[in-house]
Parts: sequence; structure tokens; C-alpha cells
Amino acid sequence: MKPLSEGTRERLLKLMATPVRRKYFESLRRMLGPAGLVSIREEQFFLVLAIAIGILAGLSVVLFRIAIQSARLWLLGSAMHPSALRVMLVPAAVGLVIAVVAVRFIPRVRGSGVNQTKGALYIYDGHIAASTVVGKFVLSALAIGSGQSLGPEDPALQIGAGLASGVGRWLKLSKERMRLMVPVGAAAGLAAAFNAPITAVLFVIEEVIGRWSAGALGAVVLSAISSVVVERWFLGNEPLFRVPLYHLENAGELVAYAVLGVLGGVASLVFVKTIKNLRPWLRQLPEWSQYLQPAVAGVLIGFIAIWYPQVMGAGYEWMNLAMHNRFPWEMLGILAGVKLLSTVLSFGSGSPGGLFAPVLFMGAMLGGFVATLEQQLFPAMAVPVGAYALVGMGALFAGILRAPMTSGFMILEVSGNYSIILPVILCNTISYAISRGFQEVPLFDLLSRQDGLDLPSLEEEPEQPTLCVEDAMQPSVVRPLAGDETIAAAREVVSGSVGEHFLVTLGEGRWSVLSREALMAAEDEAAPVRVLLRGRVPRLYQDQSLDVALRFLKDRPMLPVVDRGNLDRLMGVVSIADILGVYRRAGLAEPETVEVS
Amino acid sequence: MYSLPDGRDDVYGRGMNKDTNSCSVCGQPLGENGRCRRCEEATRVWTVRDWRPMLTLGLVIVLGFSFTRLVVGGYDERRNALAEEYYAAGVKALDAQHSAEAVDALENALVYSHGNFQYELKLTDALLASGASTEAMAQLHAFLEQRPGDAQVNLKLARLEARRNHVEDAWRYYQAAIGGAWPELNDPFEQRIDVRFEEAEYLVRQSRTEMAEAALVALAEVLPESSAEQQRLGELFLSNGDAGRALKAYEAALDSCGVAKGGFADGPVGGRSPKPIFSEGEIRNARCQAAVLGTARAELASANYGGARRYLLEIKGVNAEARTLLAQLERMDVLDPFAEESSAQVRARRTVAVFQIAIGRLARCGVPFAQALKGTGRGEDGREAARWSGLARWAEQLTPLMDERKLRGHDDVIESTMRFAFQAEMTAQKDCGNAALDDEALLLLARKRLGVDQ
Repeated sequence: MKPLSEGTRERLLKLMATPVRRKYFESLRRMLGPAGLVSIREEQFFLVLAIAIGILAGLSVVLFRIAIQSARLWLLGSAMHPSALRVMLVPAAVGLVIAVVAVRFIPRVRGSGVNQTKGALYIYDGHIAASTVVGKFVLSALAIGSGQSLGPEDPALQIGAGLASGVGRWLKLSKERMRLMVPVGAAAGLAAAFNAPITAVLFVIEEVIGRWSAGALGAVVLSAISSVVVERWFLGNEPLFRVPLYHLENAGELVAYAVLGVLGGVASLVFVKTIKNLRPWLRQLPEWSQYLQPAVAGVLIGFIAIWYPQVMGAGYEWMNLAMHNRFPWEMLGILAGVKLLSTVLSFGSGSPGGLFAPVLFMGAMLGGFVATLEQQLFPAMAVPVGAYALVGMGALFAGILRAPMTSGFMILEVSGNYSIILPVILCNTISYAISRGFQEVPLFDLLSRQDGLDLPSLEEEPEQPTLCVEDAMQPSVVRPLAGDETIAAAREVVSGSVGEHFLVTLGEGRWSVLSREALMAAEDEAAPVRVLLRGRVPRLYQDQSLDVALRFLKDRPMLPVVDRGNLDRLMGVVSIADILGVYRRAGLAEPETVEVS
Repeated sequence: MYSLPDGRDDVYGRGMNKDTNSCSVCGQPLGENGRCRRCEEATRVWTVRDWRPMLTLGLVIVLGFSFTRLVVGGYDERRNALAEEYYAAGVKALDAQHSAEAVDALENALVYSHGNFQYELKLTDALLASGASTEAMAQLHAFLEQRPGDAQVNLKLARLEARRNHVEDAWRYYQAAIGGAWPELNDPFEQRIDVRFEEAEYLVRQSRTEMAEAALVALAEVLPESSAEQQRLGELFLSNGDAGRALKAYEAALDSCGVAKGGFADGPVGGRSPKPIFSEGEIRNARCQAAVLGTARAELASANYGGARRYLLEIKGVNAEARTLLAQLERMDVLDPFAEESSAQVRARRTVAVFQIAIGRLARCGVPFAQALKGTGRGEDGREAARWSGLARWAEQLTPLMDERKLRGHDDVIESTMRFAFQAEMTAQKDCGNAALDDEALLLLARKRLGVDQ
């Protein structure tokens, strides 16, 4: 607490002049002080802060979406099919501007933003510079609005994380809390961009945090929900996709979904392998070419867009049309292919923007392609094109981004239809298995490793069982001494053993430890053992983790392990040496070198 | 520009944190162990004394809300204006039958007014007009799943099924549209009346007499008597073969014109001229003329020729169809061998004339008697061929008897000849279409003699 100023002190002293007033102010001071009623600890304050971050992130994402749409209107006009001249010139010109700013001034805005956010979390203690946030906002809006084949969700994730980081720095939060701010802000940004809080939370856990962290979960969920509430307040409750109600009528449909899963897996592989090879090749070109790469990508995308304007931008309106059976099967197949090509060009050239929307686009077109082809081959069947498009999105999401849980929940959250779960699981599993079988490293980890970073990955982290007290405890060689038994009796008990410390039970679940030295040095043999004790020790249970046991052990020689049903019943004892022994026996494999494979 | 020693871009900002002796979070100098003491201090406790950052955060949120509200409001206005502009362009293109242009414009409108149901409905109209009926159908079924009671969706599906000649499905959707929820902006009652009319017209066109009758009766029950649509109802009843109800509907239409119902049976009585129904000005009112004409036609269909004549006389001066119908009635009077006060000679002469007219009609239908006798005449099925051959044989039997002298006093032959003529005219009307004045007169005579069901 800051000390009071002189003037304030004088005023307070005057006010406190009478005894009644003094008593009143004394009470007030206690109430407002560090241990008072209106004080809150940082961890509680952090939850409140998570809501505030969610609100701020929601507002920023709303503005971001409007910025993208305004940029689109300004640069390409209002028609869904812009003129050929605009389509050729605008992405190239804007690409040039973006490249100059990004390469020269704010290189951190390049890329999707997901692995950059993860890097900020694990390497820079949650620090994301304000220039990154502003740069990402402006340049991503320009890139997507000008027609680069990229999406807004990943940048929204980074913008949210950056906002949270800024707020954390301003409030001077502890280092531990600062690290938590990044996933909190990231989840808020992504949830608002995607209008799907559960999906955002799962994605942040799977991809940004990279491990299950119960400590962050509460704050992450709060921020995601509050950002979605804000976003829906301004932009309405309309779902991203209006999908017809779906019912699995015929088990034979699952065969078609399996085919979709296979195609999704293959498409995922093609996409990831292409980025994996193209990106480093582009980066190794001369430095001056870095300024031109987004512009060249823009020219190529513009060329494609003359015939297929659907490839420009995120493409949500086209996905909706595909879901409503508006394209013939040939067109759907072509769109999936050209979108893959356009996205590879945009992303590989370093334009700031995300992969979520293009991945969903490719999946929707691929799913629609399978459905409409099935309609052609089996005209008697009623094929729900919208459902196939939706499942296709999940398949590509699982195959390319390798976030299987996120992709499954995303489909359910977006469609609101749980009867689609079976095809989703089938398709996602097949696509994921194919992608993982032929491309070991997931995309975002691949990108990080290409940049020379080794960040944790939920997929790659080997599953290790949690070690618990039961694994380390040893049987007690000597029965526990009773607090009421005499020192003489106690000496007899311990006389045959070699241990230096012995447990003493005091009844009602209380325990202590007594050293041999203290026992032997006692003068009055008739006195109870209790008089030699210097305090109680905590008890452990078999199911507790060794981490908890270590925190309790501190510098004590041993701790009792008791039965949860009978606190006076000793199950065993645990010492530091026992715990270290368990860890040695359960050693992990040596970490691999950082390879881009 | 940030770059790493190995030349890669510093996309993670590694070069930023150049001072390795201060904490990257709070900026304080690091301790000897390289850790920041301040950040690792005992957990901080927030109190009311720390009100400045909390208040500032709250103010930032409030300002953020206000600013975002302004921006969103401005963008929404622009978006709504664009949506309306594209929608208007789409409707205009659709009206001008430029369906592809209409589809483009309406899709653009939906980009800026996502989920606007009216726009989506109009888009389905454009898709139908452009021939993309599969897509339109899919879209409509999707709407139906979300809004099963929506009348507009059901109506569009009805029209789609009607185009595909799925009568039962179309009828079902029409019924759902009639009973469904209509937007309050347009008068739901009027909308339902319009749909009832559409349904009835469709069923009449499809010759589903019973279904059409049920629909028309239901419509008659809800249509106000004073409605200008009574005439339309009458036409539909008449087309469906229900002259009685058609007459009632036309009479209601006449009422709304302020015209007295009924006329004199069988022409003027006692030599008096019938009192005019209309004044000079009213007679030129097209709606009232049509009502009068419709009433006359209903009277004709009911074989009440006197009443029909009464109405036709009123408008013969301004209506060509009335003149034609009157001419048919007059010709009927001339051809009728059973007219009152006809002598035997007149009867015989008229009978021969009628026979000649009937034979001429058969000949114009393109049925040589020889072919008909052999059963190789017109008609693709055996029954039709048999009907024609039957007529031909009948004609062969009657031909030798068609002499005025032979017919005098033989009313049975006259009767048989008339029946033959009636049968020939009715068969020819079904198979050969439009008839001449004499043939129409004979049909009127047939109705008079044989009953209104003919």
C-alpha cells in the first residue's frame, strides 16, 4: 500500500479528533486494509480480470471484423464478383504495401499469429508488444480485405493475446499471471472471431498452451464467454453457417463419409507438405524479394480470381452457398483445389492472416463435392449437401491443424446439431490418421521449427502417468510410537532398528516425527513421548501426487501415509530419497533434437 | 528491421529484449540469481487503494463500448443501404426477366443482410426463374425445416410442385400456405384469399374437379359477398362445371356493382321492353360488364336461356361476346324443331338442317365415315374409335331418312336425329375444339333438351 500524502494525513487526523470518529476510522482502515473485507488476492482478481480481457478482446474483434469488411468494400467494391481490373491490381498493390511495412518495421505480424502467440507464452513470459497488436490488426485487415486467401480468426487470437499481455504489463502482474494472460486473451480473441467459445477454449489448450492446464482453464473459459457475449451484442446471434437439420437416415451414408475422410486426409497432406517446402524456399530467396513476395502472390491470386472470385478473402459467403447446393460438383472440386493453391501462396509469401477460414472453405467445398457427386451417381438417394460440407470442414480442420477435439466440437457448436456427431467422428478420425501417418509434425509446430523454435505440443508430448505417493511409499520398519507411551517404552521399541527418525501418532489423525537423538537424550524415562515433540507433521495419502508430497516434505525426514478412511492407520512412510528413487526409475526418453521433419 | 544473426526474420521479437539485465515483465533489475525479485514477491493483494488501475480499466471498457457502438452503427447503415440497393436491383432484374442478373444481385444483397428471410425468398424466385429449380427446392426445404408453418415458404413450394405437375404435393403445400403464418406487414386475410384463388385455379386447370370444387366452396365461404373477386370466383365455378354456384357468385358481383339481380324469363313479357339494368354511364364500366356477362354465361350453363338473354341484351351494344352469345341463342331458336308453335313442316325442315350441321361438324373433325366404320379413324384408344364409329353408323342409318316429307309426322325419327346431332356436337366439342355458330347453337339446344349435365 502506498503511504498517505501529508495533506491527506492532516485531514485524516482532524477527522479522527474525537474518540467516536477515531474508532470509526479505525474500523474503516481495517476493512480497507490488506486483510480487509474489500481486498482480494491476485488469483481472485485474475478471474475478474479475465472477464475484462474478454470484453476488451470482444470489442477489438468486432472492430477487426468491421475493418476487414470495410477494407473489402473500399478496395474491391461491394459486389461479390469484383471487376477483373480490381481483382488483378488490388491484391498485388496492397501486398506490396503490407510487405514493406511488415518486413521493414513489424516482422512479428507476419504469419497466422498462432505460433507467434505460443512463442510469446513460452519464450517471452507472455510479452507481446503493442506494435504487434496494432500492426496485426491493420495489416491483416488490409490483407484479407484486399483478397488474400487468408482468414481473420488466427490474427484475432493474436490480437486478443496481445491486448491481454498489454493489460497485464500495465497492471504489473506477477510473472506467473503474465504467462496466463496470453492464453486468456487468445481464447477471447478466437472465441469472438469464430463466435464459438468452446471451440476457442479447446483450440487454445490444444495449440497455444500445448498441454492440459487446470490452472488456466477457469480464466480462459470466462474470457471466451465474455468476449462472445460482447461480439453477439454488436453483431447478432446469427450462426456462421445455417445448416439444414440433419439425420443419419441410412448407415450406408457412413461409407461416403469415410471416403470424405480419406479425401480430407489426402488434401491435408498436400496442403501441409506444400507449405512445408514452399515457405523455407521463399525465405531463402534474396532479401529484396521479401518485399515482393506478397505482391506476386496477390497477382497470382488475382489471376485465379478472374475465373474463381470465390478464392478471395475468407470466403464465408461462398461456404454458405455451397452448403445450400448452389454449385455443381465440378465447381466444388475446382474451388477446393484453387483455394488450396491460393492459400498456400498467400500464407507462404508471409502475408499476415490466418488459416482457419481457408481450411474450413476447402473442407466445405470438398464435402460438397463428395455429396453432389454422390447425388449424380445415386440420384434416388437424398444427399444432404450441407451436412457433408460441414463434416468436410471438420475433416480438413483435423487433418491440417491437427486439433481433433477442437474440430469435433467446432462442428457441433457451429451446427447445433448433435445427430451429426457420428459422421464427424468417423471423418475426422480418418483424416487425422492419414495426415499424422504421413506428416509427423503438425503444421503449427512445423512452422515454429522452421523459425528455429521448439515449443511444446500436446500431440507430440508423450503421455506419462502421474506419479503418486503410493509409488514412492515404503513400509514402516518400526511401529509408530504413541504420544502417551513412556520414553522408556519407546526406547525399547526403537532399540532393534537402525532408523534415525520415528513416527509418533497423537490420535485423531495427528502425527509427528521424533529423532533417535532426542529420544535417547531424554532424562525422565517415565515422561510421555509427547513432551519431546516439536510440533506436528502433515499426513499424506496414497493417491496424492509426488509433487504435493514434495511440497509437504520440505526439509522433514519423512511423512506418514495414512488411510483416508482411518487417519490413525499408517499405510507407509515417504522420504525425499524414496521420491527421487521413483523419478529415477520412471525416467523419460531423451528429448529429440529440433528437426523439421 | 529486426533480423537474427543467421539472417532469418525476427518474427518472434527476439531482438527486442536486448537488455538481459532487467525483467521482461516489470522492467526492474534482475537479482544475482537472474530472477526478478519483485515479480516473485509474495502474492500481491489488491485493495480498494488500488482503485486507479481498476477505474481506468473500467473507463477503457466503457469508452471501448461507445466507440465500437459508433463504428458498428455507421457500418450497419452502410451495409443496410447496400443490401437495399442490391435487393431493389434484384427485384427490378427479376421483373424484367433478367433472372441471372437477379440472382447475382440478390446474392449480393444477402451478403450485406445475412439471413434476411425476405431476401432469401426472393432469391428462390430468381433461382426458379433462372431454371435452377434444384437449388431453389433445396433452399425452400431448408426454410421449411426451420419454419414449418411459414406460409410464404409453403406457397413457393406449392408453385414449384405445380410446375413439376405433382398435383397432390402442390395441393398439400397450398393448404399449408393457406393455414400458415403470414407476415403482418401484408394483410394476411387478403394473402390467404389470393392463395385460395391460386390453388383453385391450378386445380381447375389440372381438371381435378372434386378437389377444385372443395377448394372453391371453401373460398366462397370466406370471400365477402361485397368483394370484387366474386366475379373471379364465378368464373372458376363455371370452369369447374358448377353453374349453380357460379351464378350465386356472379349475382354477388352484380350486387357490388349496384345492379338488380334477375331478369325476365324467356324474353320480354306482354310486349313491354325490359327495364334497363344499367344507366348509360354504368354500362361502360368494364367490371360491371364482365359481371353481367358472367351471369349470362352462368345462366346459359344452367339452361336458363331467358335470364341469360335478359343480361346479354343489356350489354350487347358494348360487348362483342354478348353479341356472339345472343346470336347463338337466336340461332338456337331458329334450329329448335321442338319450339312452341312449330308446325310439322317446320320441324322437319329444322331437323334436316340440324342433321346437316352435325354431319358437317363430324366431317370438319376429320373423320371420314368409311374410316370410322372400320374403326381406323381418329383416336388412339379403342374406346374413342368405337365412339366415332358408333356415330358414323348412326349417321348412316339416319341419312336415308333425312327428307322433309319422310320426317313429317315422325317425331320419333326427329327425336333420334336430334339426339344424334347432340351426341355428335358434344363428342366433337371434346375432341375437336372450337365450333361454329350453328354448332354452338346446337350445344345450347342439347343442354336445354337433355339437361345441364351435358
